[in-house]
Amino acid sequence: MTRRARELETLLLAMFAAVPLYFTDAISTFSLSLFHLAMTAIVLRVVFGRGPELIPAHIMRWLAIAYVPFYVVDAVAISRSAIAASTHLVLFIAAYQPIESVHRSNHAQRILTTALIFIASLATSTHLTIVPFVFVFAFFVFRQLMYLSHQETATVLGHEYGEPPTARAAGFYLIGALLLGALLFPLLPRLRNPLVRGFSGPLAGASTALTDTINLNRQRSTPQDATIVARVWIDEEARPYFTPVRLRGMIYDRYDEGEWRQNLRGLRQVPSRSGTHYVARLGGYEHGATMELRTMKGKVFLPPGTYQVRGIQTLYEGAAPETYYTYDDGPLTLDLRLSTEPQPLLQRSLRARFPIGMSGYPISPAVETLAHTIVGEEQSVAGKAALIEQFMLRNFRYIPNDATSLPKSLERFLLFDRGGHCEYFAAGMVALLNAVDVPARIAGGFYGGQLNPLTGYYAIRREDAHAWTEVWDGTRWITFDATPASLRPGAAKTNPLMVYLAALGDSLTFFWDRYVLTYGLGDQIELFTDAITWAGETVTALRGRVRSMTFTFSRETVGAAMAVVVAVGLVVLLIRRRRRRSFDFVAEVLAAQGVQVKPAMTVEEAIRQLQEQRPEAAEELAPLVALYEEEAFSRAPDAKRSRSLRRKLAELKT
Amino acid sequence: MSSAAFEFNGVVRFTKIGTTYLAATIVLAVAAVNTGNNALYIGVALMLGSLLLSGIASKGGLKWLRAEIGGMDEVWAGRAARGTLRIRNDSRIWNVRDVVITSEALAEPVLLAQIPRRSTVETAASFLFLKRGLAHVHSVDSYTRYPFGFFLKKRRLHVQNEVLVYPRLLGEEDAAQQFQALVGDESSANRPGAGSDIHSFREYVRGDSLRHVHWKKSASLGRWIMKQPDAEISAAVHVLVDPYQPKGVPDEAFEEMVSAAATFVFFAVQRDLDVSLSLSRTTQRTRENQSATPLFRALALLEATREPMHQIVERNTVVFSCASSSPTKTSVPVPASGLMPGGAGGDSPSSRGASSR
Repeated sequence: MTRRARELETLLLAMFAAVPLYFTDAISTFSLSLFHLAMTAIVLRVVFGRGPELIPAHIMRWLAIAYVPFYVVDAVAISRSAIAASTHLVLFIAAYQPIESVHRSNHAQRILTTALIFIASLATSTHLTIVPFVFVFAFFVFRQLMYLSHQETATVLGHEYGEPPTARAAGFYLIGALLLGALLFPLLPRLRNPLVRGFSGPLAGASTALTDTINLNRQRSTPQDATIVARVWIDEEARPYFTPVRLRGMIYDRYDEGEWRQNLRGLRQVPSRSGTHYVARLGGYEHGATMELRTMKGKVFLPPGTYQVRGIQTLYEGAAPETYYTYDDGPLTLDLRLSTEPQPLLQRSLRARFPIGMSGYPISPAVETLAHTIVGEEQSVAGKAALIEQFMLRNFRYIPNDATSLPKSLERFLLFDRGGHCEYFAAGMVALLNAVDVPARIAGGFYGGQLNPLTGYYAIRREDAHAWTEVWDGTRWITFDATPASLRPGAAKTNPLMVYLAALGDSLTFFWDRYVLTYGLGDQIELFTDAITWAGETVTALRGRVRSMTFTFSRETVGAAMAVVVAVGLVVLLIRRRRRRSFDFVAEVLAAQGVQVKPAMTVEEAIRQLQEQRPEAAEELAPLVALYEEEAFSRAPDAKRSRSLRRKLAELKT
Repeated sequence: MSSAAFEFNGVVRFTKIGTTYLAATIVLAVAAVNTGNNALYIGVALMLGSLLLSGIASKGGLKWLRAEIGGMDEVWAGRAARGTLRIRNDSRIWNVRDVVITSEALAEPVLLAQIPRRSTVETAASFLFLKRGLAHVHSVDSYTRYPFGFFLKKRRLHVQNEVLVYPRLLGEEDAAQQFQALVGDESSANRPGAGSDIHSFREYVRGDSLRHVHWKKSASLGRWIMKQPDAEISAAVHVLVDPYQPKGVPDEAFEEMVSAAATFVFFAVQRDLDVSLSLSRTTQRTRENQSATPLFRALALLEATREPMHQIVERNTVVFSCASSSPTKTSVPVPASGLMPGGAGGDSPSSRGASSR
């Protein structure tokens, strides 16, 4: 590989290190594009043999000086984040260094800067796709480091750049480093600094049914975003009762100023006992479920039937009723108890202050007429809700992504268009129910998900965001969903191959999330506990087996076996003693003279040290050290010489 | 080229890159602990893995190296001698690269770009011994930064090698003074040799040069008659080296004297002189087309004696002694030409200690 090719590799590596930042929202796309543009220009200059000086070095130096105050401005006013400003700074340095390299050798610094860029990428990435990036990056960094090491050695000796290590060597060391890294990863102590708030995966950007309010006069969209929000394990026997899975995070129960809003009443700690949080009272059939959830700005999404939550330190209800928040960081693994008819814990005083009832949506006579036409003579709340739901399912059409059409009013949806996204269906049903005096509200969150046949969980993605309706039957909220089931989120994926591939990809993502991203101190404790338990069980089992064997063997046989064991033990001890290196004996003698032979010390150095401290002792020991060196460095082992040395050393010790 | 950049006490040293790398790893570990971000833990694990692997690889690579020295014919004290350094890598796993070999016996460090596993690499090396005599090379030091340059790893390799180092050769100029002819010295030696006068006639034997045919006699006798030249007395020289080192005479003076003797013998041989070298009890002789190695070997191994020895000094004998305080010019032929072996260099020429008796 020529110098130019090596230079190009260094430049391209810096560009490559920044690529994951496009997907992590850590810094703006503009600054990233600017960096890549500058680096591309430098690469092109190098390709055409013009050198990397895109900007003259002296101007670049002034720019670098000017960047120092700019960094502060960036952190305070532009990016408003020290992390983003620091990332900008590192990118600037990465663009500056190739220009600087014309006048000063800075290859090592450039590799370091590239590594810093990649660490910024790695730190903000939560997706599995970062893994191939890590592999490729590590390979090229190893290659660069090996080249650098070779060059340093050659330069010191006044040699020219000779035979740099090959890509095969870099590959070999990459595999080795990855294996060692994989071994070390679970063992590195996950001791969190309690003073620093943790990092949580970014889930920025609003989407349907997940915003604070619903305004149907504004354009809405359901983005295609396969990021996993939650994984829910439900036993097969409970699936008929609790699937399709719904995860509720929003309650829009008030219509005000043209928007569906949440009745905010502040945070209220959910009552808990022994680590179990009680969000409702048990009612009907109940079953357990496990949910792995990535919180969104502290919001906890729970299935509507949840009455108990475990596996979380803090849980608050609010700011809207029956929505939940936590201060716990990172992805959570929750043990849930679900029931088919959970009874609310809402206190009477609170109910009085926030009456369950009408949303306040101004119902027009035409809508009221439509509602009455649908429900007819039905008197029960559930019956009226069911009739309206059926009517909408039959007569309305779902438009999954309504971003292209203009926003429309709820009247227009109900009376004329009869088509829209899930929020129209949910809000329309609430309006129709309110028109017939049935208290109802819009619930927002996620719906359905994909059952992963390989791992047995439902994977809920961001694109599964959905809105539905909840109806108050006098004692509890009942879920209704007027959106046609076949057109709800997740229903489109029917190709079995695609489903299987999605499941496979999702399984990998799950393992990544579970055993890499969310691996923590608890897992480490569990790992060690399991190891200790396994060792204990194995010993107990062996002991039991030995005990049972003693009954079958005669006393003489056991005695003979014990004698053999003792003899073998003695032989092992003897061999080990004999195998003890002469170095250890010499080191012992030297230590007795007050000179410790440290790990990075040769016997020669130790004897020199002894010579300074105690010349007479050194003189006495010198022939033995010579004998030791003869033994240590001799090609053919000489047992007689070795014995003689050890005997002499032992004599000296005594 | 300097070996100072490599030499250090101990067996391992962090390089600048290694120190920076370690610092970066610690910073990243602190960041990982502070944030609890497992992505950073991946980075830390990988960086620690690389560090560990680097240590294992460099240690594993050097551990299985074996060194041998060879190929040195004539080694003169103070002059670089060409030889070969053979390094074998017995490892089944590790290819080792960028190995630097240093030793007190090596004139300059040797760089071996690659020593593949289970293979031998042989390279030319320049050796330098400062003292005459039998030099023992017990070990050479091997260093490597491979693979990532985080550590400079050192390992001492044992070698079993004995080298006979001939005395230091002094400069040619002063040595040439020894060869200034004196009046009357160019007389016949009365023995066959390579001189210009005819010593006798003999029959032709196979291999004789036609240059030496005596045409007149051959024509008269009808067969080939060859001229046998006389050995010129000035083409033979007897050198006597007195090993007596009186008290008070430093070792350096004795060594200087041996060097002067060796230099004289060297240039005498260069001029095709027959040289006889007498030491305390032995006399070695070299003739035209004969190797002078035994003479230099004897000088290399000459040891000083503390007692004066009785020696008979004949005419035309060049005596070297560190006991003498008034050196005199000796009578030897004027050198036609003379070249130092291995090119110019070495200490300034000296004729101290040489005298004729």
